[in-house]
Amino acid sequence: MDFISPEGLRLDGRRPLELRQLQAEIGVVEKADGSATFEMGNTKVIAVVYGPREVQSRSQQQHDQALVRCEYSMASFSTGDRRRRGKGDRRATELSLVIRQTMEAAILTNLLPRSQIDIFVQVLQADGGTRACCINAATLALADAGIPMRDIVASCAAGYLNSTPILDLNYLEDSGGGPDLTVALFPKLDKVSLLQMDSKIPLDVFEKVMNLASEGAKAVAQFIREKLMENTKQLVLAKGR
Amino acid sequence: MVVGLSAAEKVYIAGGIAADIRGDGRGRHQFREFNIDTSVIPQANGSARICLGGTDVIASVKAELSVPPPGRPNHGKLEISVECSPTAAPEFEGRGGEELSMDLSRALQRSFLGGTSGAGAAIDLAALSIVEGKLCWALYIDGLVLSSDGNLLDALSIAMKAALSNCGLPKVEIIGGTSPEEEPDYELSGNPEEFTRLETSLVPVIVTLTKVGKHYIVDATAEEESQMTAAVSVAVNKKGSVCGLTKRGGTGLDTSVLLDMISVAKRHSAVLRRALAFAGLFSSPNVEKRPVSFCLLLFRRLDANGCRTK
Repeated sequence: MDFISPEGLRLDGRRPLELRQLQAEIGVVEKADGSATFEMGNTKVIAVVYGPREVQSRSQQQHDQALVRCEYSMASFSTGDRRRRGKGDRRATELSLVIRQTMEAAILTNLLPRSQIDIFVQVLQADGGTRACCINAATLALADAGIPMRDIVASCAAGYLNSTPILDLNYLEDSGGGPDLTVALFPKLDKVSLLQMDSKIPLDVFEKVMNLASEGAKAVAQFIREKLMENTKQLVLAKGR
Repeated sequence: MVVGLSAAEKVYIAGGIAADIRGDGRGRHQFREFNIDTSVIPQANGSARICLGGTDVIASVKAELSVPPPGRPNHGKLEISVECSPTAAPEFEGRGGEELSMDLSRALQRSFLGGTSGAGAAIDLAALSIVEGKLCWALYIDGLVLSSDGNLLDALSIAMKAALSNCGLPKVEIIGGTSPEEEPDYELSGNPEEFTRLETSLVPVIVTLTKVGKHYIVDATAEEESQMTAAVSVAVNKKGSVCGLTKRGGTGLDTSVLLDMISVAKRHSAVLRRALAFAGLFSSPNVEKRPVSFCLLLFRRLDANGCRTK
């Protein structure tokens, strides 16, 4: 199947090195400590943070650092064909773990000992790149909750189809059989915190795809920072100082 | 939902309700202002999101081609389910939300699906039939609770009604196989302009009356719900018929009070429906093109004029 037309356009009209349209909103759930929605094209995720709060089960309490927990769930209407996913399916468990580890690396857990931070991500629409979108939404929600972090975490996926590295795969491209590489990084520290890839590619191509994904993640980071800045300015205005 | 309230707060809530002025300034029979967005899920045939105070729910309708249910060859299928996302409350994590999800789905199924024969269903099931005994539409109505601040059932019913009104079924062309022994051969129209709408005038709205102390209130918040002694959810359709009833809570209700509550719920449902129609949500022919947002701010005034009960 041709994923890139002779004119160099992809199925949804983007250039190979183009991100989908990004949208984000902070503070969407009133009762939560922090919340945000993040959209990458048709992929839409809502992330909610509760905490830092008292540890719910005593046995899990850590005296020198915060306990970070994460649950990933998909709405039954999020995918093209409707299906009910059990809460404990393998994909959801793996993703919960991946998001938790990525966010844990960013949170200054040693500043919040004996407390618990819950991150809940809910996929409303899935169109490829849910992993990246969840991490971006979680970053915004954590920032909204005012949880101290080393740096924001930004994530983006890239792939390699029709001998071309392409950025931010949608569902069709994702299921196109090529490699799917997801990167999450700390943009300021310039360090990679998550790297996942399936399928196989030669090493020199891997470098190209990896660089592309990192560039994408940096662009996402810029967007996240602007959104946070905008939100902070609004808060300052609301406070009246 | 676990709501931690001090003794003083409990007295404040009960006292406010007794004095007909609640914590947020509403009277006993006033709804909160709400906001409806339609076409929020592009992958669904119809969808709507409603924010009712701090309560935020999404309803989506997905249509699939299916085989008619056994014994009813000229009917389609209608299924309802509700999921409580842990985003609404940390207690819903893992299997924690299942009990509430089940409770809400059952109450909605009672009100929307009619009897086992399909009589009295919110959507005319015969209208979902395509080829008798062979092909029909199956509508899956899914509710998702994103944020919870009381009155989930009413919010879900409004969202589902709006999603059903927003729903467009693509045109199905039968190109062969209409005789009884052949498999039907059909083609789905790819033209987004060609679709049929559902007749949704008989879809009920649910009004829940929550009894706190001696009085009952509509549209209770989570704090008020934690202080309830009993609650009655009444589903009423356009004709004013009661389509479903659910009573919850620990204490019993007098039959006379129950009948009174039902008549109040009926009046409220009429106002709700009028307010929704007023927003043009159910009459506008071009709602599916882009997300349309209606802010029902007028609702309060309508309510105060039309439906104050002493």
